[in-house]
Amino acid sequence: MLTAFRKLRGYLRIAGVASISRRYFVMNSFDGAMAILGVIVGAYSSGTINSKIIIGAGLGAAIAMGASGFSGAYLTERAERRRILLKMRKAMLADVSNSIHGRAMKVATIWTAMVDGLSPVLTAIIPMIPFFMNSVGLISIDHAVWYAISLILCMLFLLGAFLGRISKESMLRSGGRMIIVAVVAALISWLVGKI
Amino acid sequence: MTGHDPQVKRLVLDVLKPHDPPIDELASKLASCHGVEDVNVTLAEIDQDTESVKISIDGDDIHIDTVRKCVEDLGASVHSVDEVRVVRKPHPK
Repeated sequence: MLTAFRKLRGYLRIAGVASISRRYFVMNSFDGAMAILGVIVGAYSSGTINSKIIIGAGLGAAIAMGASGFSGAYLTERAERRRILLKMRKAMLADVSNSIHGRAMKVATIWTAMVDGLSPVLTAIIPMIPFFMNSVGLISIDHAVWYAISLILCMLFLLGAFLGRISKESMLRSGGRMIIVAVVAALISWLVGKI
Repeated sequence: MTGHDPQVKRLVLDVLKPHDPPIDELASKLASCHGVEDVNVTLAEIDQDTESVKISIDGDDIHIDTVRKCVEDLGASVHSVDEVRVVRKPHPK
């Protein structure tokens, strides 16, 4: 298990996927959270809020974002990694696809596709928890809406803080920026729902 | 065989490798090859995408093919075998 983990780390280091994985993770987690925020706020302001609808729409959106993220990243990364291998082959005057580099490129493609596919699914499913609780009668729908929005804002703040940590900026300010973007998007969704 | 098995005791290779994995990893991987006891890797030249290294390997019974496979598995390629020391060890009676 430990050997497999070490091997995986080695492949990811050789393929240099750390920064691209971080980018995919933040971008797609943000997408997932914002999409669900829009669904919840839009449905709430239009007065048609219902746990079943939110859960159905939310899970549908999560699966669609996950599938799109996985396939999009897989195809993009595969093309990009093949280009790197070809460049290496040219520099080495030898085929390196059967070496550690070839294996690292394959692992990196799957890894980035998984990060790209799973991150929006995760951030889209977490805000569904209060609606599941409402559907079994644990909390009211109004509470479910506010808990879900709070969860989304917390996730977005954490994503911002994570970016702040990477860029050695203030984590609080970076997290705050994410909250501002989310509040603006929520206000627009609310106004659109009112029309 | 005529009662004596030639055994490779020293091998010096001129190798072209990508920047990754670094030379310490290359040396560690080679040190785990059959018969290898001592590995010394020296950076000879560095280029934009590649680097040339001189690898000196000492051991009891070095298998050249295994070493070559180890080198190639790391994405590197053996340009030339610059030095080999072979001893003929008599069979025990």
